[in-house]
Amino acid sequence: MADAGVLLIDDDEALARVIGVGFESRGYELRVATTGAAGIESIEERDADVIILDLGLPDLDGIEVCRHLRQRTRSPIIVLSADGAEERKVRALDEGADDYLTKPFSMPELLARVRVAVRHRRALAALVDDEVLTVGSLMLDAAAHEAFVGGQPVELTPKEYALLLLLVRNVGKVLTHRAILDQVWGPDQPLDTLRTHVSHLRRKLGDGEGAPMLVTAPGVGYRLLAPGDSVT
Amino acid sequence: MIRAVASERSTILRPSRALLGGIAAVVLVEAGLLVAGPGVSRAVVALLLLVPVAVAGLLGGRLVALAVSLVAAIGFAVLLPAIGSPAVKAGDNLAAIALFVLVAIVAGVLLSSVVLSDRRRMTAELLTLETLRQVDRDRAALLRSVSHDLRTPLATIRAVATDLRSDPPYDLSTREELLDLVIDESERLDRIVGNLLSLSRIEAGALLPDRQPVDLAELVESCVGRLRRVTDRVVLEQRVEPGLPLVKLDYSQFDQVLGNLLENAVRHSPPGSTVTLRVRRSVVGVSLEVTDQGPGFDPTVRARLFEPFASATGSGSSGIGLAICKAIVEAHGGTITASEPGWGGAKIVVEVPIDG
Repeated sequence: MADAGVLLIDDDEALARVIGVGFESRGYELRVATTGAAGIESIEERDADVIILDLGLPDLDGIEVCRHLRQRTRSPIIVLSADGAEERKVRALDEGADDYLTKPFSMPELLARVRVAVRHRRALAALVDDEVLTVGSLMLDAAAHEAFVGGQPVELTPKEYALLLLLVRNVGKVLTHRAILDQVWGPDQPLDTLRTHVSHLRRKLGDGEGAPMLVTAPGVGYRLLAPGDSVT
Repeated sequence: MIRAVASERSTILRPSRALLGGIAAVVLVEAGLLVAGPGVSRAVVALLLLVPVAVAGLLGGRLVALAVSLVAAIGFAVLLPAIGSPAVKAGDNLAAIALFVLVAIVAGVLLSSVVLSDRRRMTAELLTLETLRQVDRDRAALLRSVSHDLRTPLATIRAVATDLRSDPPYDLSTREELLDLVIDESERLDRIVGNLLSLSRIEAGALLPDRQPVDLAELVESCVGRLRRVTDRVVLEQRVEPGLPLVKLDYSQFDQVLGNLLENAVRHSPPGSTVTLRVRRSVVGVSLEVTDQGPGFDPTVRARLFEPFASATGSGSSGIGLAICKAIVEAHGGTITASEPGWGGAKIVVEVPIDG
């Protein structure tokens, strides 16, 4: 995935250098901002294909920076978090982040997340206003409310269909439990409702070749991944 | 919150309000009894008048109970002839009044004491609860800070190790640069662990300096040499006064103080700016000054700069370095102060006596 522009917002010089070496040597164009304010300013000047945002910044709270970035760009935001608290990840995702990694992380993992984010951003950009959505061998006909896996129709209840449509429209992005419940069922629905539907959906999508993967983000939510998107 | 709970009143109502209410209730009871006429017995009168005394005592405390008791006693004395049977002797009324006063005072004071002790117990329990909550909050903040501090250098170490293992397209010099970063970050990790151990010693009261005559010029040279890669990003200006006397210090503890001050100054300095380390004779003995050209102190933590975790930021460090410096310096009978020079930046001055 050469020539993709990545904006890294992180004040830790050593980590920024390591990420810089890793990405530039693989053909990415990397810009680094060492404060939240500089990161926001940088995205105002020029958009990026992906933003990597460290939640621990010296000037502003990372969650706040995430909110400001989301108001200015539709590019995927991957947050890096050092405290490991699920609550912070959920808040960042609710404020517009697409994915998260907990420090310490492996470089191949970060590269994989960025590849997935760039690919899905481009795929989604091509799907705007399209009524037929595809992820691997899954095809959703949004007009007819029908789903097919490998060309075979899949029987879905209206809620299962709504859940799948939401996941497909946000493919690659981690959706929090609350965000999914609010959008598919409305407020005040228990988490068990979602878990049950996810379980049914997984069974119906199957694990055949080309089928998308409905991945659990422990304690946070779910995301749909295209086959071959190997993120943990 | 603790102060607010502690300063809460020991009575339910303000005493003045309870007193006025009590007196009004006595007057109302008396008016009612006068309307009821002479058929009411003395026992009923006494019991009815005890009610306002008890309630005023409960709401207003002991003094209010005493005052309302006396008002009720006067009311009782006034009322008795009006309702009394002619067959009752005058002496009986006096005895009844005296007995009423005694019972009213005892009942009022006892009830107010019960309320007071209940409220004191509740206040003490609230204080304990709030203290425990504060301890919990501090522990959570400490864990977050420590976790952040340890994971930041680990992030670089793990990123480099996993990257190099994935057969990246790096030349030899890039590989060496990355390995140097691993060495730097593992040393940073070691300093953080050293600070955490010192903090636990300070909290356990086990930070006892082993004082030996120390050549400060040699200590500075060794410490600066050790931190050379950390201070590389700034211009470090060393001004050590020649001919300084030997100072009785714990060498490794002061090496940690100087290391923390320098690392702190470098971390807050723009790349290429100047950090000045000055060591010289002072009125009390010897002073070590570290001055940087960074943004100065965050106004929200300036007053608590030397408290552990006070200067924790989202990015840099947990802010235990300065707290450790203060504990070590004070254990040597010295002082540590922070100021912001007029031209910007921050300045930390440590002063220690020569003979410890």
